[in-house]
Amino acid sequence: MGIIHTSRIKSPWIIHFDNSSCNGCDIEALACLTPLYDVERFGIVNMGNPKHADVLVITGPVNYRTARVLKNLYAQIPDPKMVIAVGTCACSGGVFHNCYNILGGVDKVVPVDVYVPGCAARPEAIIDGVVLALQKLAQAQGVAK
Amino acid sequence: MAPRTIAPFGPQHPVLPEPIQLKITYEDEKVVDVLPAIGYGHRGIEKACELNEYPKNIYLCERICGICSCIHGITYCEVVERLWPVEIPPRAKFLRTIWSEMSRTHSHLLWLGLLADAFGFESMFMQFWRIREKVLDLLEMTAGQRVTQSISVIGGVRRDLNGEQKKKCIEVLKEVRKESEALIGVLANDYTVKARTVGKGVLSKDQAIALGCAGPTLRASGVCEDCRMQKYQAYGDLEFEPIVETAGDSYARAVVRARETLQAIDLQLEALGKLPAGDINVSVKGNPPANEAIFRSEQPRGEVFYYAKGNGTRNLERLRVRTPTYANIPSLLVMLPGCELADVPIIALSIDPCISCTER
Amino acid sequence: MIENLKEIKKDELLSEVKKYADAKARFVTAVCNDLGDKLEVTYYFNASPGMEMSALRIAVGKDEEVPSLTGIYLTAVLIENEMKETFGLKVKDIAIDFGGHMFLAQDSPVLPMLKEKKEAAGEKGGE
Repeated sequence: MGIIHTSRIKSPWIIHFDNSSCNGCDIEALACLTPLYDVERFGIVNMGNPKHADVLVITGPVNYRTARVLKNLYAQIPDPKMVIAVGTCACSGGVFHNCYNILGGVDKVVPVDVYVPGCAARPEAIIDGVVLALQKLAQAQGVAK
Repeated sequence: MAPRTIAPFGPQHPVLPEPIQLKITYEDEKVVDVLPAIGYGHRGIEKACELNEYPKNIYLCERICGICSCIHGITYCEVVERLWPVEIPPRAKFLRTIWSEMSRTHSHLLWLGLLADAFGFESMFMQFWRIREKVLDLLEMTAGQRVTQSISVIGGVRRDLNGEQKKKCIEVLKEVRKESEALIGVLANDYTVKARTVGKGVLSKDQAIALGCAGPTLRASGVCEDCRMQKYQAYGDLEFEPIVETAGDSYARAVVRARETLQAIDLQLEALGKLPAGDINVSVKGNPPANEAIFRSEQPRGEVFYYAKGNGTRNLERLRVRTPTYANIPSLLVMLPGCELADVPIIALSIDPCISCTER
Repeated sequence: MIENLKEIKKDELLSEVKKYADAKARFVTAVCNDLGDKLEVTYYFNASPGMEMSALRIAVGKDEEVPSLTGIYLTAVLIENEMKETFGLKVKDIAIDFGGHMFLAQDSPVLPMLKEKKEAAGEKGGE
């Protein structure tokens, strides 16, 4: 495959969206960018614009209001895209399972490729999740070819 | 009159990772009106706390916010202990104070980094976060978790500090203090930092009181109010003076937080030195009586207010949490109109908004 | 036990709050409680500067109107909107009225904090 496919695997651009999480995973996702963990050495760049992104990193459970925003963001990301749910509450609702305004995990709204458990998920686990997503993307591209 | 435009700021915005939307009306480059649209982070924790049992709520309250989670958990325990009331051992009080101040240090370093990021000072953002990792390592070593420590239980704390940990804490904290002092010196004296923050988003003393602001936002406007003045936990035994600035602009708010970072480290060092021996918790059995209690403690972002009402059963009758950002959001209605559009991120950030706190 | 708590009538609320505003007290928050047939609202003030807290408490029927504090303390906007949408407390003339959708979205549960809704909220959350 061409240079675009190679670059996508080698340098994925990430967009982060906070549903209604407690911030714990958000700051851990942000901590991934900083000197100790430094994901940029893997070519991972954090993006503000969904139209430039390949990987959607979602933290926190979905509530009634963010469900719409999340669908919107997901639709704006060009194919092929990967969705990573970071944190136990993004995976299943977690500790917020019996809160009245919570729909549940991210997979109630958008399809999820990789689940990263942990409350809060450690930066190492988040990086691991991204790497896993890229393997999946590489496989998918190989098959689609 | 120039045509008016309405721009949404959020709910997904690169400057602020959290979901808040500010509907900003502007003319040319001047902001004329702002309306915060919140509710993206509302979960309903207060109701869920009525469904869970007392000890389980500690974990839920800690997840009101992942940045100030430690103090949320401690404050919940404090308010529930006041329902009986239960007196906790002095060592537990000191340990709670140490962990509170440790989480204040990491939260302020985090915020100072985000501020630098907001005006494009990328290298300073990275430096602050590099120092912050050392504090997180300390938290992990002493409490077992980087983010949500779950250190407090009803009647005391869950873990003790041994001599080796204490030594390591003192060593690392001194190192963190030295490094942050150097960085804060750059932040406070840099020409570009001052150009972006001095005189932006001014809040006068009267406005700050009338709008019911809390924490560094209030103290930066010259109001000497800090919940630690109530001398709860170990604060009565430590040398504590609230940090007050008078300018009331974004720069003053940054300076208050910068000085509080250093003060928090000093408080930890002092508390570690004075740590009394003894038990770390008392056994609390049964359900609290039908009673109500309030407790306020000082979070990194300001005063957090907990109200609890028990009814003699295993569940709370009502829990109400008023978080500092909840009190600080109305101040944006005063600070933002009249500013330049490019200053909106910095002013919005200067109240240290924590949206997941606000909406619970 | 709550210190410095004063129980007042609904009609006295605004004049009592005005006294706090004149004394330059800081509005802290309000707490709404569902007592079954009535709603109990407690307003907390902090005497600035200092950490002295006092409170005003009113009890109203569920369909009674309550005056808004936002004319005196703008900062009460958020809490009054919240009480309105989660408890159904009828606060009239709020300075910025979010119309019952400040925290709750269109399809969120209605008046979730009321006690008799307890079972419904629990079932939903279990999913």
